[in-house]
Amino acid sequence: MSWGIILILILLAAIKPVFCAALVITFDFYWIVRTLYLTTLLVLAHQKLRRQKNRNWLADCRALKECKNWQGLYHLVIFPVYKEGLDILRPSLAAIRDTNYPKDKIIVVMAFEERHQPSRQLSEELEREFKDCFFGYLTSMHPDGLPGEARTKGANATWAAKKARDFLDAKGIPYERVLLSCFDADTCVEKEYFGCLSYHFLTTPNPHQASYQPIPVYNNNIWNAPSLARLVEISASYCQMIESMRLEKFVTFSSHSMSFKTIVDIDYWPVNMISDDSVVYWKAFIFYNGNYRVVPLYITVSMDVAYSSNLWRTLAVQYKQKRRWAWGVENFPFVLSRFFNNNDIPFLLKARRAFHLLESHVTWAIWAVIITLLAPLPVLLGGALFHQMPIGYNLPLITGLLLRFTLGTSLVWILLSRTMLPPRPRDVPWMKNIVMVLEWVIVPLIILILGSTPALDAQTRLALAKYMEFYPTEKKRKVV
Amino acid sequence: MLSEQRIRGVLFYASVAVFFVFLPFVLSSALGYRFDRRNFKFTRSGLIFIKTQPAGASVYLNGKLLNDKTPVTINELLPGRYRIRLELERYYPWSDEVTVEAGKATPLDKIILFLLRPNVKQVNRDRFNSFWIDEERQAVYYISKEENALYKSDLAGERYQKLADLIGFSTPALKYKISFDRNRILYCNNGQLAVTDINPDDRFHRGAFFVINEPDSEDWILDAFWHSDGYHIITVRKNHIDVIEARPGAKAVALTRLNNKNTSAFYDVRNDTLYFLDLEEAADGNTYDNLYKIELSPWIFPWQDLIKRRHNEAKP
Repeated sequence: MSWGIILILILLAAIKPVFCAALVITFDFYWIVRTLYLTTLLVLAHQKLRRQKNRNWLADCRALKECKNWQGLYHLVIFPVYKEGLDILRPSLAAIRDTNYPKDKIIVVMAFEERHQPSRQLSEELEREFKDCFFGYLTSMHPDGLPGEARTKGANATWAAKKARDFLDAKGIPYERVLLSCFDADTCVEKEYFGCLSYHFLTTPNPHQASYQPIPVYNNNIWNAPSLARLVEISASYCQMIESMRLEKFVTFSSHSMSFKTIVDIDYWPVNMISDDSVVYWKAFIFYNGNYRVVPLYITVSMDVAYSSNLWRTLAVQYKQKRRWAWGVENFPFVLSRFFNNNDIPFLLKARRAFHLLESHVTWAIWAVIITLLAPLPVLLGGALFHQMPIGYNLPLITGLLLRFTLGTSLVWILLSRTMLPPRPRDVPWMKNIVMVLEWVIVPLIILILGSTPALDAQTRLALAKYMEFYPTEKKRKVV
Repeated sequence: MLSEQRIRGVLFYASVAVFFVFLPFVLSSALGYRFDRRNFKFTRSGLIFIKTQPAGASVYLNGKLLNDKTPVTINELLPGRYRIRLELERYYPWSDEVTVEAGKATPLDKIILFLLRPNVKQVNRDRFNSFWIDEERQAVYYISKEENALYKSDLAGERYQKLADLIGFSTPALKYKISFDRNRILYCNNGQLAVTDINPDDRFHRGAFFVINEPDSEDWILDAFWHSDGYHIITVRKNHIDVIEARPGAKAVALTRLNNKNTSAFYDVRNDTLYFLDLEEAADGNTYDNLYKIELSPWIFPWQDLIKRRHNEAKP
């Protein structure tokens, strides 16, 4: 569909340049209105995040009525690990250990892949250090090549969750009282994360029919990351903040939490799909016949900016990470096939959700192409007649206006990004503050390279049945 | 959360409303329509696009100064005639009356504003009689007939230097031509043709010498051209077209005879092709001018062995 739209626009630019220019102007205007709308949502989400920062959620839990019984809740945290080393894993576990929440209510599962040789040694070292910090500390080794499985994070998480289930059964802990958080290996939670999660779980109607999504930020190494990678990840955080305001479209992403009962009911994560973080939401949505939602948590979980040793490798790392995210388009056939077989979800709800899913992926794949590459085409291919018409002169004007408008909204994004930064590390010079403002001028370049191309790539691969394997993103805490 | 969702709902529907209400105006304006508030109708308009060299000129439309400076697109103009005046400090103003047609753009994009006091600068240093510009090498060549010498400078007149002394002719030279490789110059009058090597670093450097020295000949040299190899000269004479090597005592090879005693010729040095006019008698007994061409590329040149010989000569 994305390629269809692009090819039709190219064809129109050659044979009907005026019509094509009118379509481009319509899209440009739509993009201006959309950007204004989404930036307003971003500001609202940011305000809410700031309001709830430093809130003592555990105290709020304690203040709840006794019937809510927060003390009866257990938090099960699964870290699917592949090639991450101690430099990544240790801070993630330390962050959980340092949370403002009773540790005798926390169970941690470090889910390693057996095929990765150093896993055993890593697991032993971490076990020595963290075994006694929590109510339960489990290590799972996911065997390679189980029937029906692909090498995905979901397969590893599922194996770990089953092991945790045995543990809970042995301890006699009911699944309804366990909140599961499946975190990327580099996820560092805030001190109040589990208090915030418990509070929302206890105060949300039908809490088992909801996932709980914190705001992902990429602060772990943001001061050391190169500009390109930093800007891309800040944009990713912004997208999640905006999505947190659009509840009817909100889908789980990356590190998030849900009821353990729910994950067991829906038969865990998919074991052969890459976009496990969003598919698990759709599985629950279909299992509960559409009565499933994502509750935003206005608390951050911090992850690593993905980058590498030089610009080109960083670009490649970012490209592959975005392509993996864009591979979430595999959700569409998955969801559609299950919608067809489910008559209990209202038709309008199915149609709306399917449209949202399709629209978001198609827009992702075409917006940057239209704005940067297709917009000048009618002028280039329009011929002499086009250049005698007012639209031949107005098209570049309106495209230029869109770019200026985008730069204007960048000012808002810069201001917001400054307020979300962690304190500057001592080894980072003060001048970096200046760099981190000036670097926003490369946003148009990033839009051109990483705006739509990874999504188009992923969709093309899916269309050609060139299925991707899970590509674990390269993470670094310091520039090599 | 509920109130936020309410705010979001308002924002969403407001955005949708803004999009659908303003899109017709944006599109109609882009397509050259203007909304007439009195009649509540869209009327077809035109535009004027003005681009000047240099940019930044003030624009007066029917005597009224516009806010924008060039390059500028003046939109939503009703069909009719408009007076345009462009002003830029230190430049001559430009003005004209243009017609705007409905649904059409009137581009004024080839306007050059000229300085009030053009920056006239003398390039040469000494007296000279003729010159020519070598665009490719960014050089000026000067001929001084009094000194019978060739000079050269860059385009700014800097690095002025004497290149060579030329041979004195019985009557003044009429044509001067530098070879494609800029290593030598030929000059000729009606009966004499000499060559002077002007690049002392050239391995074929011979100084100055006559190639043709027939001052009393009636077979005038009308024109002469360098072959791209910089060694052969094509001479257009009264009765024939010859080719001759640029060395003392060389013998000419006749390429063709001419019926026209006063032909004109053009030499395309990039393709080594000579174009020339000549007369031909037709079946009706009348004579007509025809344009002919001779291709003289080395690989189809019948005397290419001469070139080889020349190169062999140069080897130590």
